[in-house]
Amino acid sequence: MSNTIIKIKDLHASIDGKEILKGVNLEVKAGEVHAIMGPNGAGKSTLSAVLAGRDEYEVTSGSVEFLGKDLLAYEPEERAWLGLFLAFQYPIEIAGVSNMNFLKTALQEKSKYLGTTPLTAREFLKRVKEKASLVELNDKLKNRAVNEGFSGGEKKRNEIFQMAMLDPKLAILDETDSGLDIDALRIVSKGVNTLKTKENATIVITHYQRLLDYIVPDFVHVLADGKIVKTGDKNLALELEDKGYDWI
Amino acid sequence: MTVTTIHPILENLKTSEINIQESKKALSFLEKLSFPTRKTEDWKYTKVSKIIKKKYKQSFASCGINPIEYINKDLDAINVFVIDGVYCTEHSDTNSLEGVFIENIGENNVNYNTLVNNEIEIFTAINTAYAVNGISISVQKNVEVDKPIHIININTEDAIIANTRTLIVLEQSSQLELVQSYFSKNVKDTFTNSVNEIIVKENANFTLTKLENEGEGSYLIALDQIKQLSDSTIQINTITKRQGFARNDVNVLVDGQNCATYLNGIYRPINKEHIDNHTRVDHLKPNCTSSEIYKGVLNDKSTAVFNGKVIVHVDAQKIEAYQKNNNVLISDQATMNAKPELEIFADDVKCSHGTTTGQFDKEAIFYLQARGISKATAKEMLVEAFTDEVYNEIKNKNVVEYLKEI
Repeated sequence: MSNTIIKIKDLHASIDGKEILKGVNLEVKAGEVHAIMGPNGAGKSTLSAVLAGRDEYEVTSGSVEFLGKDLLAYEPEERAWLGLFLAFQYPIEIAGVSNMNFLKTALQEKSKYLGTTPLTAREFLKRVKEKASLVELNDKLKNRAVNEGFSGGEKKRNEIFQMAMLDPKLAILDETDSGLDIDALRIVSKGVNTLKTKENATIVITHYQRLLDYIVPDFVHVLADGKIVKTGDKNLALELEDKGYDWI
Repeated sequence: MTVTTIHPILENLKTSEINIQESKKALSFLEKLSFPTRKTEDWKYTKVSKIIKKKYKQSFASCGINPIEYINKDLDAINVFVIDGVYCTEHSDTNSLEGVFIENIGENNVNYNTLVNNEIEIFTAINTAYAVNGISISVQKNVEVDKPIHIININTEDAIIANTRTLIVLEQSSQLELVQSYFSKNVKDTFTNSVNEIIVKENANFTLTKLENEGEGSYLIALDQIKQLSDSTIQINTITKRQGFARNDVNVLVDGQNCATYLNGIYRPINKEHIDNHTRVDHLKPNCTSSEIYKGVLNDKSTAVFNGKVIVHVDAQKIEAYQKNNNVLISDQATMNAKPELEIFADDVKCSHGTTTGQFDKEAIFYLQARGISKATAKEMLVEAFTDEVYNEIKNKNVVEYLKEI
């Protein structure tokens, strides 16, 4: 029990009165990689949005325990401080806010919340250098405004760079593979795999099996119509790729 | 001493002695002028009824306080003080720059009161009629002043009317950076009615940065009336911080070829503050550019107005005029009135203007939150990024630091 990272119990959520999640159950333990697959409109992105704390969604029943805490009671920034990370399907461009200032502020606020010693300027820069090389993000991109003028692939690499900097306990990758060419996919996957440890966990949300050739899951779940309808190992993903979602 | 009773707020005010003839003329205009109402087009969104209901007194005591605490050392400026509307020579630096004269506006100054229009503008006429004294800054030919001059206005008493008057003349190929700050010492119902007349001659370069920060209980009406001659460059930055009421008019007459005109502004009203920025650029001659960026962040029940007028006169060909006004409403109860106006009477010009008013990008705030930045900090970061576009236009980084710190 002690190595459970997240435990989602009978989670129901709706937006504008329309129920999207209709009782999701999922437990992820430390060291595991879970893939959530499913057709469009199944509720995959809603699940990640609810976990990250988007306030447009209303949780109508159910619970989410994250490292023993009631996740849904926390603000989005507190969830990040506790160790939740969401890699956005569509990373936002923020004009005028530099990537570095953004990360520095995020790390400062996190250490303030946790009561840990903040990184010195030198340590911060060292970490930036180390983590940026992981996803082959060059200096020019690091120093620009957040995601501004980044290509699709650069944005996704920037997400993984941020993930590396923040060192989360649980990373949720929301359709990180969408729109990526094979080189970017390889770089992003390498980043994710390098960051994997026995203490953290990853949830990979995807529509396609292709990503799972690179980030190999321990479990594959199929989300359809707001519920997890099937769970298996990585072979389930291959089967889905073959037969399509209608087969479920 | 002439006492007039034409308008109640002017009762018991002593007529200006800067130039007796000019003040008499202004008084005669005042007899015919009335205060703007909602029906006055240029004052449609700005009510002056609150200001003109009050009774004011002039101060004649030069240097009522010791203003040393208002000096910002990092600015490394020549400091000039105006206290309760009166030029305070005692604490001001005057003789420390070569080729620059900072002095009282004298009776024989030929440039005084030549640019402004007392016949039409009631607040200008009030200034000319009742200014206790005024500052004249003249920069000699080819002199590049390497330090900024900082005029620090401080109101120290309640219900003061401060008719501050400044005349600036830059001779050919000279350069000057002026910072003009407005403060008050925990006072209320003060009315600063400021007039700057600025003449920028051939090939001269002038920067004026105004910091308006008199507090929520203070009224400020400020006019910059500027004339530019050939090959000159000016930049006028109007930064409004805590100011209960401000009406800024920046009027530029571009009367020469190859001129560049930059007008920038930031206003961030809170509570019930009201900030009105009116700009007008008259391009009289060809081959000039003008560029304007004004940005507003409005909170609570505040209101703001932006009205930018560019007039390209007949024969002023090859003019490039750009204007941008962007606003963010942080509160649902804040109101922005934006009106860009272009009047073009020449046929070979490039002009554009745009204005936007919106709310904070919720997606951006959530993105920052999701990375562990609190909502409050996220909003601050976005405000800073938003206003930095204007601050980045100001070359002197010490000035930018000063503006941000206050």
